[in-house]
Order: sequence, then C-alpha cells, then structure tokens
Amino acid sequence: MTDRRTGHVILGINALVLGYLPAAWQSPLLGKDSFVDPAYWETIGRTAERGTLDVVFLADAPVLGDPAHDANPIRLEPTVTWGHVAAATQRIGLVATASTTFNDPFELAERLLSWDHLSGGRAGWNIVTTRGADAARNFGLPDVPLRDDRYDRAAEFVDVVRALWDSAATGADIRHHGDLFQLEGRLRVPPSRQGRPVLLQAGGSPKGRELAGRVAEGVFAAELTKDKAIEHYRLVKRLARGNGRSPDDVKILPGLLLSLGSTEEEARRRNDELHDAGPAAYSVQWLSQSIGYDASKLELDEPFPEEVLAAPADPQTFQGSMGFRESIVAQIRRTNPTVREYLRQTRSTGSGHAGFVGTPEQLADHIEDWFHSGAIDGFNLQPDVLADGLAVIADELVPILRRRGLYRHEYQTDTLRGHFRAAAATPDSA
Amino acid sequence: MPAPYLALGLTGPHLVELTSSAALLARWDALPAAFTVLGVERVDGSPPAARTLDSSAVGAALAGQTTRGRFLIVASPQRDHPYNLARRVASLGHLSRGRSGLLVGVRDAYAAPDRATAARARDAARAVRALEQSWPHESIIGDRETGILVRSNEIVHVDIGGEFPIAGPLTVPEPPTGASVIAWSGSADAPDAVDLVIGEGGAVAVAVLGERPPRGTAGVLLRAEAEHSVDDVLTAAERLLAGDFRPLAAGPLRAALGLAAPPPRANGRAAFPVPQPHPSL
Ligand SMILES: Cc1cc2nc3c(=O)[nH]c(=O)nc-3n(C[C@H](O)[C@H](O)[C@@H](O)COP(=O)(O)O)c2cc1C
Repeated sequence: MTDRRTGHVILGINALVLGYLPAAWQSPLLGKDSFVDPAYWETIGRTAERGTLDVVFLADAPVLGDPAHDANPIRLEPTVTWGHVAAATQRIGLVATASTTFNDPFELAERLLSWDHLSGGRAGWNIVTTRGADAARNFGLPDVPLRDDRYDRAAEFVDVVRALWDSAATGADIRHHGDLFQLEGRLRVPPSRQGRPVLLQAGGSPKGRELAGRVAEGVFAAELTKDKAIEHYRLVKRLARGNGRSPDDVKILPGLLLSLGSTEEEARRRNDELHDAGPAAYSVQWLSQSIGYDASKLELDEPFPEEVLAAPADPQTFQGSMGFRESIVAQIRRTNPTVREYLRQTRSTGSGHAGFVGTPEQLADHIEDWFHSGAIDGFNLQPDVLADGLAVIADELVPILRRRGLYRHEYQTDTLRGHFRAAAATPDSA
Repeated sequence: MPAPYLALGLTGPHLVELTSSAALLARWDALPAAFTVLGVERVDGSPPAARTLDSSAVGAALAGQTTRGRFLIVASPQRDHPYNLARRVASLGHLSRGRSGLLVGVRDAYAAPDRATAARARDAARAVRALEQSWPHESIIGDRETGILVRSNEIVHVDIGGEFPIAGPLTVPEPPTGASVIAWSGSADAPDAVDLVIGEGGAVAVAVLGERPPRGTAGVLLRAEAEHSVDDVLTAAERLLAGDFRPLAAGPLRAALGLAAPPPRANGRAAFPVPQPHPSL
C-alpha cells in the first residue's frame, strides 16, 4: 500500500562533469575544454539555483581514468570547484565527495569547514572510501586496504572530523587517541552557520550502511528497482533509529539517470543518438567492472550463468561497489535477460542507477510514485548532458512538481542542512 | 633596475575579514599588485592566529568572486598529500584563469603536530610541478569526427619516488596558462621546481607594513600584522602602488611576474594507449 506523504521531495543534481553519457562532450553547447572552464561550472550552479534545487553533487576519486572518449573521468578537485561555484550562487547546497582512505582528517576538516563558512553554510561532504589500485598508487601504496579496513578508518576519520568541527565552536582542543589516529588540537575556522557541514555517504555494503545509519545525514544510493529501494530505505532508517537518531535525520537519495524530451519519442531518440555517439566497448567494460567478472567472456545470446550472479568470491578484495553489484544482480534475476538484452537494456537504464527516458511530466509521475511508495526522500538526478538537461529540470520538471505540491516555489531556507530539514518526513511505513 | 612590484601577505584573521566584505573584495580586486599570499603565517614560523581559513578554500572563493586579483595559496605537506594538493593547485589554475599559484612551506602551526621536514616540503613542490605537467593541455582536441576528446596517449605517469611515491597522472590537465607558479619561503633548501623565493635572499623581500620597504629586489611583500585591519593593508598598498612601486596589469600570474614557463618534463611512461577513432554501436 502507498501511504500519501505530505511535504517536499529533495532534488539534487549529480553533475558527472558534463553529464552521465560519454558522448556528452559532443554537445554543440560545449567547447572542447568546458570541463575545466570556470564559466561552465558557474552556469551549472546558477541554473540549478534558478530551479530552487536543493543540492549539486560531485563524485570523486583521486585518480584519472582514460579521458580519450569521455570527460567523465576528468576530475577537478571538488571542494575547490564547489567553492568557486558557491561564490557565484546564494542558496543552492553543494556536496563534495572526498576519500577517508586518502585524506588526512585534520586537513580535510579544516578545508571543509572553511569552504562551509565561505559558502554561508551550504557545504556537504560525501564520505567515500575509494576503490582501485590505480588510486592507491598515487599515494605510494600498491593497492587500497581491504574493504572492512577502509570502513574502519572511515568510521574513526569521521568521528575526528566531527569533533574538530565542534572544536571550532567551543574553542577547546580535542584529544583523540583512537586505533588509527592520534591527534590533539582544534580548528580556528569560524564555526558553521549550519551547525556542521552536512554528511553524506555513498556505498551500499553492510559496513557502508552501518556508517550511514550512525552518522550520515544523506545517503547517495544506487537502486534499480522500487522494491529494493523500499527495502534499503527501511534498512537505513532502521539503522538510524538503532543509533538513537530520528529516521528524518538521514535522507535517502538514489541516483536517477535521465534523458528528457518534449515527447517520449523525442527522449528515446536523444538517448539512442547519445549512446550511438559514445564508445561501444563501454557497456561491456562497465558491466565487467561492476559485477567482478569479465563480461566479454559471456555468451551474448545466453542468460547470465548462475556462478556469475552468485556473490563475489571475496567481498574484501572485490574491486567494485557491493551496493551497485547487489542492485544489478537483483535486476538481472528479476527479468532473466540474455547478456545481449541486458547490455542493450543498460543503454537506457544505465550504470547501477535506475534510468529514466521520457517527458518531464512522466518523470514527475515517476518521482511521485517512488516518493509515495516510501522508496526515497528525493533523487540525485543525473542528466545525460548537463548543458541542456539541467535547464529542462529547472524550467520544466520543477514547475510540474510544484503544481503537484511536491516542491517549493522559492527557497525557504538558505543552508544545505536547512534544505534537508525542510523536506518531507519519513513515512510511517518505514 | 625597474621599480619593484608589490605583493601582500595576509594572515588568517585578514582572510576572514576580506572574504566577508564585498567592498573589501572589490578594492582588493582593483589593486594592481603582483599577488597576495593567503595565510602567510602558515609558512613563516609564526604561531597560529585566533582565526583562519584553509588557503585553497579562500582561493576558490576569490577565483569565483573576483576577476583580476592574483594569489598564492599556502600549503605545508605536513598532513596533506601532494597528490591532493596538486589537484587543488591545478583546479584553481583553471578556475582563476591562471591568477593563482602555490607557496610551499615546511611547517604549519595550525595543524595538529605531525611530520614536518624540509625534505617533505621539497618533494611536495616537485610532485606538484610534475603532476601539473603530466597532462599537456594541447592533448585536448574535442574532435567530433573521430569521437576523440583527448589524445590521452600524451598523458604520462610521473613515477616519482622520495618522500611521496606517486604514479600519476593528475586528474586534470595543465591549465591553459601553463603550470602554476610555485613559490618557496626563504632561500634555504629551495628545490629546482621553484619559480620564486620569498624572504631571505629571494627575489621578493618581506617588509612589515609600516616599515620602510627594502630596495633592490624584484618585488616586496608587505606583511600584515595582527593589529592591522584589511582596510589598513589595502590603504597602504594603494598608496605604495601610486608611488614608488610598479603596478602590474591584469593577467595570469606567471606572465605578470615575467617568469619563464618551466621546462617540460622528460618523456614519461604513457598513461593510456593511443585512442582509436571509435566505431559507433
Ligand atoms: C551511489 C554510489 C555512489 C558512489 N560514489 C562514489 C564516488 O564518487 N567516489 C568513490 O570513491 N566511491 C563512490 N562510491 C563507492 C563507495 O563509496 C565506496 O568508496 C566503495 O569502497 C565501496 O562501496 P560499497 O560500500 O557500495 O561497497 C559510490 C557508491 C555508490 C553506491
């Protein structure tokens, strides 16, 4: 049963540099180096703010993937990029991803709180633990530590950062003597207008969800099906309750890949054309990486063999995200496609996140359905090409949601934490 | 010898004051100074002030709110890793349109104590330079015919050792204005990657605001003290720039200081294969 919720959804934009599809850079609206052009990033911030959106979001890893055909692996440093965009905007929240494996807690705490102060209390930190040996080799390590060890470090790292943020307000030194960090001192940065920068977590492994239930105020999730999304929504809200928190203190925001058009036909054509303009090997590569199995070895016209779908041999060393893998496997089991069918299907449903191809009106229906089903508090929207896709969200989707009472007409709060607090409460079903 | 250029050295409380006032920012931006050091007390051995802000966060705000003022962010690789620092330096190079650079120090008194040695600072400066040069800007071609955005085989690993072993490459291309200016505090132990030495024996002498600036150097850095407000600093700078000091026109930092582009690095190991024109699905 759906129970009607009142209040507003949260709308975020996950920038993915130029958009989620590799061919985004070929848009006639972009120059060859828009991905490093300050004017491009300012426009993203201003357009999102025109739509009174809650937050813009930047994923991150301290490593370069091959940018030959795709701007997605190219990464300006997120705190600096959003710091720049904060200067060009007034109300929109800004979330930067940063690794607990490859940062120092004192340095990162000082930097995040400084950026929070300079943005007037609009900063958020997406806590990730980073995967992959290539990233580790930029920090003098042959490989990343095991998954559980990464999350142990993340847990203590976040505790230190929170204590340091509080020290900025109290003026008292912290004395942290933990398993991994020994640290005495305090921050001399002006305290946060929003209390503390907002904490988000991305990742769906058990330890990842544990961290979310304990400290995160938002979860960037990967969900392909509404049923799984409801299950995970309830799980994280329950974990929050178990930690003595209100379920309203942690907002669940799955990603949603978008191609929008003024008709469904137009949206499909746009999606197909963008896919065709991108490199073909991508979907096979992406699937291999995500499920921990070389997908080029699979028979294209057979269903997925059971041993491929079964849990990866070792969750400690599996390179992909457990959250993504679980979501993909659930969807394959549900529809039992051949490999070819699945690869074609993922062209429109995308990369572990659910995908949506259609009109702004249909997208509003989709958001409304997941919202009232208790699957989400909001979505982190991922347009195919930001340069025009974001404007459609701001100027077409948002007015429809407003008419339906699902979104505010103007900003009523001016910090990221304020935006999150002003959103709809958790439904009784969760 | 031409008249010296003028640089400013602001401390933590000045950064808080400057960034909270549109009027002060406008005056700062209009000043034909060479550059401003964002948090000079982080490198000159001073004790921490009552208030401060992270230097790169201030740089990002200045890049977004101003159009001509130039600045050096300050970093001591005591807790931070140069790979992270290089990302911020290169990103600011793009976002400020070449108005930014880096001043490397050994020890930062704000940070909770950790390893702080000259060797780490030197290796960090070298790493930042190498990483910024690991991805040449000309490799970005955006060719819609072949579907090739970047000739990524021109991007190289840095494969550096020392205090911070790093494989590279960096996550961003070199700014179109070239590798960022790297400055060093004091002439002792300056590594080869440094463009500019500030303080003892360097091209830029340090003078405390209110004292008579020294003569005979390319530039003078006017260091603000705790008792000075940002208005005091700007007023003094405006007066000096109308007098004996040489105003510098707007433009990228490296060009403004007349510094030569750093030599390209010797060819490294290609990070990626030669991109193939991709067949569509
Ligand atoms: C929706 C989603 C987004 C993620 N974004 C990032 C990211 O931007 N950077 C990153 O290093 N990891 C990202 N991750 C991965 C995790 O945060 C974590 O780093 C990884 O070690 C394993 O994730 P897991 O908990 O799902 O296994 C993301 C995961 C999910 C599910």
